[in-house]
Amino acid sequence: MKALIYLIFTQMKNRILALRKKPGMMILYGLVLLIMIALVIVIIISDKPTDKTFSDSRILYLFLTGFGLLYLFTFTYSGLSTGSTFFSMADVGLLFVAPISSKKVLFYGLLSTIGKTMLTSIFILYQVPNLSNMFGYGFMEVLSLFLIYVVMVLFFQIMSMGVYIFSNGNSNRKRLVKALLYGLFGLIIVSAYIIMQKENVGILDSMKLLVDSKWFGLLPGVGWPIMFFKGVLAGSIIQAVVALSLFVILGALFVSLLTANKADYYEDVLYSTEVTYQRIMDYKEGRNVSSASNRKVKVSDKEKSILKGKGAIVFAYKHILEIKRSSRFVFIDGYTIFLTIAAGITGYSLKNEMGAYIMLATLIYMLYFITILGRLKLELMNPYIYMVPESSFKKLLAASMSSILKPCVDSIFIFSIFAIVGGAGILQCIFMALAYSSSGALFLGLTVVYQRVLGGQPNKVAQVFIGIFLLLIVITPAVTVSILIALFVLPESLQFLSTLPYSMISLISAFFMFYTCRNLLDNTEISNRI
Amino acid sequence: MLSVNNVTKKYGKLVANDSISLGVARGEVSLLLGPNGAGKSTLIKCIAGLLKFTGDINVCGNDNKSIQAKRDLGYIPEVPALYEMLTIWEHMEFIARAYSLENWRDRAEHLLERFELDDKKKKLGKELSKGMQQKLSICCGFLPKPKVILFDEPLVGLDPQAIKELKIMIVEQQKAGNAILISTHMLDSVTDFWTSCNIMMEGKIVAIRHRNENSDGDLEDLFFRITKGER
Repeated sequence: MKALIYLIFTQMKNRILALRKKPGMMILYGLVLLIMIALVIVIIISDKPTDKTFSDSRILYLFLTGFGLLYLFTFTYSGLSTGSTFFSMADVGLLFVAPISSKKVLFYGLLSTIGKTMLTSIFILYQVPNLSNMFGYGFMEVLSLFLIYVVMVLFFQIMSMGVYIFSNGNSNRKRLVKALLYGLFGLIIVSAYIIMQKENVGILDSMKLLVDSKWFGLLPGVGWPIMFFKGVLAGSIIQAVVALSLFVILGALFVSLLTANKADYYEDVLYSTEVTYQRIMDYKEGRNVSSASNRKVKVSDKEKSILKGKGAIVFAYKHILEIKRSSRFVFIDGYTIFLTIAAGITGYSLKNEMGAYIMLATLIYMLYFITILGRLKLELMNPYIYMVPESSFKKLLAASMSSILKPCVDSIFIFSIFAIVGGAGILQCIFMALAYSSSGALFLGLTVVYQRVLGGQPNKVAQVFIGIFLLLIVITPAVTVSILIALFVLPESLQFLSTLPYSMISLISAFFMFYTCRNLLDNTEISNRI
Repeated sequence: MLSVNNVTKKYGKLVANDSISLGVARGEVSLLLGPNGAGKSTLIKCIAGLLKFTGDINVCGNDNKSIQAKRDLGYIPEVPALYEMLTIWEHMEFIARAYSLENWRDRAEHLLERFELDDKKKKLGKELSKGMQQKLSICCGFLPKPKVILFDEPLVGLDPQAIKELKIMIVEQQKAGNAILISTHMLDSVTDFWTSCNIMMEGKIVAIRHRNENSDGDLEDLFFRITKGER
């Protein structure tokens, strides 16, 4: 046990000492800490306004449910494939073979995972002012939220290991786990529908009523955080303790699966530890870390190659081939379906012009991250694009082709549904689709500029700040011109054209950025990180 | 065929390559030796056109970033760079099309046969073991018939048969009059065919030796004599 305590504290100490070599990071962490302390103090000493109307707490329950369902789904699936792990490859190589009880090693793994989960959940504490302003919560309520979030994430990690041990190598058990998972999701959807019909309310209100109901709080993993938090809000210690106890009891049950059979769980966590390690190494060494990596793809002997052309254009065909291997319908993938459904629900629920623009802004915001981490960025991490004997401009355009087409295809589905459910008029939807598609080109142009400007920049913090600065420089004129024209130039009957200036400026900016950085591949360095 | 003149590469304040000059002539197998962190891989990447640097690098008389130089240059990286979602054969087809090669199929088949990959043509990049990835990476590097070939630790991860085959191929390339630059720590593996060696330490070339100058031809002895003091 002494060795494990030594390991925990030495790693902690060294992590802090390592900051000495990164004064910028030390200042950043210091600032974050100071801001957090200041926020907490302000909340504690300030009086709650009694006359202010706060938002409905059920909105927060919806967020908690969303996180719960997301974790339930992803951790169950990781349990069905690789499992989950509390350990690193160093633990495998050094601890698993050491003469230390495997139960103690498991305890060490649990402790270090709790620490990591707390660190990654700290963003909740940062939401103190928002939660206070919106819902009128004090420090204790936010702290409870933080606590239950950490418990929930930890629970799902343990559950994932349990699922792996239970179902590994047994297809019947795998089917059972999947049936239970989909059954739970089905139950929630059916219940929401019944409430909609019974209470004659929209989907949002029906979901609010559902997550606020007593029986929802009993749902394992997903409902317990709400039961706990409602207990805290109502001052019912018993309710909060019951919810926590449920987590502990089921969590302990999963841990007992690990420690059963003389605690010989090493083999069960080994594969997942190796997979996790490989992912980290891939990331560090700049290899492809696409989500498609885990998907099983069988290439039949009869399958004909779709690679065509000669020279730079082959990069475009290669991307289409890769996309086809990830998604049967090429550009129409899970993301397209997800966005289309979300747009349908939004259009059906909101049905006003401002709602349509807020949705467009949200979609464009999501598109930004998808584009800058997309195929062009991945291609820039492989040597071939630099080494193929073709002009840099041609290679850049070819390697960007699939990322230009994808938002165009997505926008057709998203805005068709949006128009069908009555979210906005057909003409407005067409121009919003154009705005969305042109944003894809704009963000691709930005990816090229980032690589040109920040390619050799070793400081990650500087990269992020300069990146955001460049984004603001590029997007602000387009948005401003669109708003001004909509407000002061366009008559009511032509308001559907309000996004057109944004689209045009985006396309012109994209072309300008591509053209200016056309020699990028001759003047930059291979990217080694995402 | 390959000339490197005053190449300096810096990462922030760290000087990875400090005013390096070297040349590899037609039919020469030149080695880059040196302890870990000496800057060998960085230099290879600079020559391959993957990193920015100051100085001049010429491949067959052309600037290394020019299209003609890229046509003449082959690079086999230390970590195999493959596409997860392309099969072995599709990698070959991709390279052939990207380099606008003609009549490449027989050559591709032959390369895959030599590295015992011909029966795995439909396997995806992500399904290959590390050794197989390295073999495919070598095949990709050889397919365009480069005149200057850069190897960064080419033997790591290969099985004995592949090591033997690669050694034969290097000698074939040498006889064909191509220039080869190999960065390696496995001194025994290159003893038979090296013609010159550049020993690097702390980002600099501290010694250049040609085989005929080194009477006993013992690379290991030469390496330790130079890295332990003699320059």
